Amino acid sequence: MNKYDVVVIGGGPAGLAASNSAHSNKAKTLLIEREGQLGGILKQCIHDGFGLQRFKEKLSGPEYIHKEIEELSSEIEISLLTFVTKITKTISGFELVLVNRQGVKKIETKKIILATGCRERTSKQVAIHGTSPAGIITAGTAQYYINILGEMPTRTCVILGSGDIGLIMARRITLEGGKVLGVYEAKSTPSGLTRNIVQCLEDYQIPLYLSHTITKVFGDYRLEAVQVSKVDEDMQPIKGTEHIIVCDALILSVGLIPENEIADSIGVRLNPKTKGPLCDQTLMTSMNDVYCCGNALHVNDLVDYVSESGEIAGENAARKQENNLQDLVEIKTNAKIMYTVPSLIDFNRETKKVILYFRSTKVYEKQKLMIYCNGEMIFSKKYSFVKPPEMERVVLDLSSVKNVHEITVILDDE
Amino acid sequence: MQNRVIATLNKKIKQINSKVTLSLKDDCALLTGYSDDWDEIVHIGRLVAKTKKFYSVINDIKLNNFVEPTMRRPLIEDNAYDGMKVDVLVIGGGIVGAAILRELTKYNLKVALVEKEDDLALHASSRNDGCIHVGIDLSSKTNKLKYLRRSIPVYEKLAQDLDVEYDKMGQIVAFKSNWERLIYLLLKLRIKKNGIQETTFLNRKKLFEREPNLNKVAKFGVLFGTGACICPYNMTIALAESAVINGAQVLLSTAVTSMEVKNKEIVSVQTNHGRIFPKVVVNAAGVFSDVIAEMAEDKFFSIHPRKGTNAILDKKAKDKLMFQSTTIYEGLRKTAKTHTKGGGVVPTVDGNILVGPTANETPYREDFTTSREEINQVFSKHKNNAPHLSQRDIITYFSGIRAATYEEDFVIQKGKWTRNIVHAAGIQSPGLTAAPAIADDVVAYACELLGKVSRNENFNPIRKGITRVNKLSYEERNKLILNHPDYGQIVCRCEEISKGEIIDALHRPIVVASVDAIKKRTRAGMGRCQGGFCQPLIVDIIAKETQNKLESINKKGDGKILLYQTKGEQHE
Repeated sequence: MNKYDVVVIGGGPAGLAASNSAHSNKAKTLLIEREGQLGGILKQCIHDGFGLQRFKEKLSGPEYIHKEIEELSSEIEISLLTFVTKITKTISGFELVLVNRQGVKKIETKKIILATGCRERTSKQVAIHGTSPAGIITAGTAQYYINILGEMPTRTCVILGSGDIGLIMARRITLEGGKVLGVYEAKSTPSGLTRNIVQCLEDYQIPLYLSHTITKVFGDYRLEAVQVSKVDEDMQPIKGTEHIIVCDALILSVGLIPENEIADSIGVRLNPKTKGPLCDQTLMTSMNDVYCCGNALHVNDLVDYVSESGEIAGENAARKQENNLQDLVEIKTNAKIMYTVPSLIDFNRETKKVILYFRSTKVYEKQKLMIYCNGEMIFSKKYSFVKPPEMERVVLDLSSVKNVHEITVILDDE
Repeated sequence: MQNRVIATLNKKIKQINSKVTLSLKDDCALLTGYSDDWDEIVHIGRLVAKTKKFYSVINDIKLNNFVEPTMRRPLIEDNAYDGMKVDVLVIGGGIVGAAILRELTKYNLKVALVEKEDDLALHASSRNDGCIHVGIDLSSKTNKLKYLRRSIPVYEKLAQDLDVEYDKMGQIVAFKSNWERLIYLLLKLRIKKNGIQETTFLNRKKLFEREPNLNKVAKFGVLFGTGACICPYNMTIALAESAVINGAQVLLSTAVTSMEVKNKEIVSVQTNHGRIFPKVVVNAAGVFSDVIAEMAEDKFFSIHPRKGTNAILDKKAKDKLMFQSTTIYEGLRKTAKTHTKGGGVVPTVDGNILVGPTANETPYREDFTTSREEINQVFSKHKNNAPHLSQRDIITYFSGIRAATYEEDFVIQKGKWTRNIVHAAGIQSPGLTAAPAIADDVVAYACELLGKVSRNENFNPIRKGITRVNKLSYEERNKLILNHPDYGQIVCRCEEISKGEIIDALHRPIVVASVDAIKKRTRAGMGRCQGGFCQPLIVDIIAKETQNKLESINKKGDGKILLYQTKGEQHE
């Protein structure tokens, strides 16, 4: 049976960065990828805007991935078209059962890094009702059809949800000769990045309707029309505001969910707010020696941060464990903060440099972020505005604080 | 005598609606007239049926300002089957039609089945909860109980022969107060009367051992050991494939549009693929069975469609919900009123949880829409059984239409007025359970009508399904992959379905090369991402395997196109 120090599950940007950093920290590393090619979802993201932080240049998804793969050490073992069917905890680590075109194989590893990415919410998860015709697909599926297979899944469509992929696909469908009649968003503010609202909708005169949702679909075979309604503050449809829009497709960009089926199967505890595992600053989950990074940890809006979290997980997984004792402190927040990642700090770990990501619950202007340890402010930063779609990142140095029993992160008016 | 009954009933009916009249057609009750309210039409039909003074009820009361939508029909029109002669023509490719077709192949007959949709089991036979019922709720004189009792002992073996998974998980009826032990005594009488086997009393401890997440109000329960679950569309497909292996023909996308009847005998059946000449016609047309009966000039019953909505939950929800089909007894009246005893919070054979169904009368025979209200109805109805039930776990939902008669019973008989037809009509729950025995009787009637019929000595009862690779042991799976690497390439990540299984589904006795048909046969796309990742991959595999262009692969049928021709290709 093959034995590894670190097995990375998922060969997207998080998994690539995790493998590389685990390997450069001297761990015998195996990278497992389900598809026939590395790169994950970036393979189909042919638009640009990736890598501004990491590579200081504007790259397309495939270019970004190409750079990452080029940096990948040839000593890292890679297993493509391989599916992890089972993970079992053993005394010394984990046993994984892998399936691929060569057969079923068992391997052993001391540590696991989950870099399994995320999936899209479906039409039934956002309670789309009416008939069930062809032509209701998620934005990611539409992107695969257009960018990978070179096929058009629509001629005239509406998009529900203003998530980034939805905005990107609005532009993409327009460029391919399709017509996007509008993007409908149930919330009163957009879900995607401002730059995407400008570059993908405004530049192409595609209207964005906030506080609107799709309440019904029509068509026995192919989608023929959708019913749009205004929604109230609780996002409930307002009676009497319904109108019908004739179109052949409904493209959904209604949120992403971290893929944590493997994590769940071995008993890793999940954070109900992020739907990813609860982690400390080393990105280790509630289960010893299981790490998580990228969109499997929490849904990111920039791939640069996905790669960064992969590096953190890889580096820490490669490190010899000092001891198994934990000194966990849960990070408390006020109501203006939706979540922080990590949500726990383990003071028994060597890693004292903490990269903290957070999202606000609403759009707030002129805010100040204040971080307290045992009631004493250790960090503060001012923001002219914070928005839920745009994740914020701060770096903390906890090496000088001692005997911490409380960490609080507060966002408040300046 | 019957004149007096009619006079009294007419008096009652006129009080409800003066435009409705009851008369006799032979010994059948015939209702005619107009109404503004569909519920009223159903109510009057039931009122007449309840008297049990007539052979059956034909309800021809028209709903004002209602134009019944025409039956959904295939888009193709040609003469592919024009002039075809068969001994028996089965109309309808649901569970009952498929079971009958297979049973027919046990004789030396030329048999065919026509189905208007592009695949089998597309409506009631897939839009149900997959329960093999125990028969506790059925009254002893019904056809429902008669056929259910005869089917239960043979079902497991049949499923085994057809390589269809049969999970005998049991069904539990739980009671929430100790005084209901009196009801339990009544129940015991019924268990005896209905011939129900394998029942066990469960005290509170044993009840919660078997069903730890049941509402804690439950005090005791009864376990019905014969209760089982099965995948209803897989069973239908398996029966039809077995029939094809034994020489039957399955003609999909073939709709019956009219019949030529002369001297109380069907001469020919018109379809969108031409005229077929059968000696005997079997009516297993589900929600359209009264329409088919009318074409055959043999309409002595009426179908009133009853819609039901079900939701399917993520496999992850199973641990906090039910381990077998368990319901808390809600009182006799409630069960009788809602016209659905089946369902509840039911584990499916594939490890999901099904919640449902609702029961709402509708004039639409093919209204498969869903609504927020129906889903809310489903969940509030069953919240009492399983406190952890949550709409957040939904991965999909769907509606189906039950083909209810006013007698609320199956119609299994030879034609009343037309000589060469056999009806298997009015099939609703427990039709899935009762199908094998229904098939038995229908085929016996058909053979009587045909006269001299000999047994098919070569009948092969065995049908092998598609190997579910992730259910094999590692050794078996490894061996299979070494010989066929496609079984090692996972396409559907949620359900762990391999490329090999998808290719297998395209090489079956009955091949339907659509995304939905592959999904039904392999479960690829049935998981929590609902095909988000694998749908394009499956389209690609089907296209390559059938040597078609990507854009010619549909979700289902002719009209459910997925992709449009790209501009470049149009110019070619």
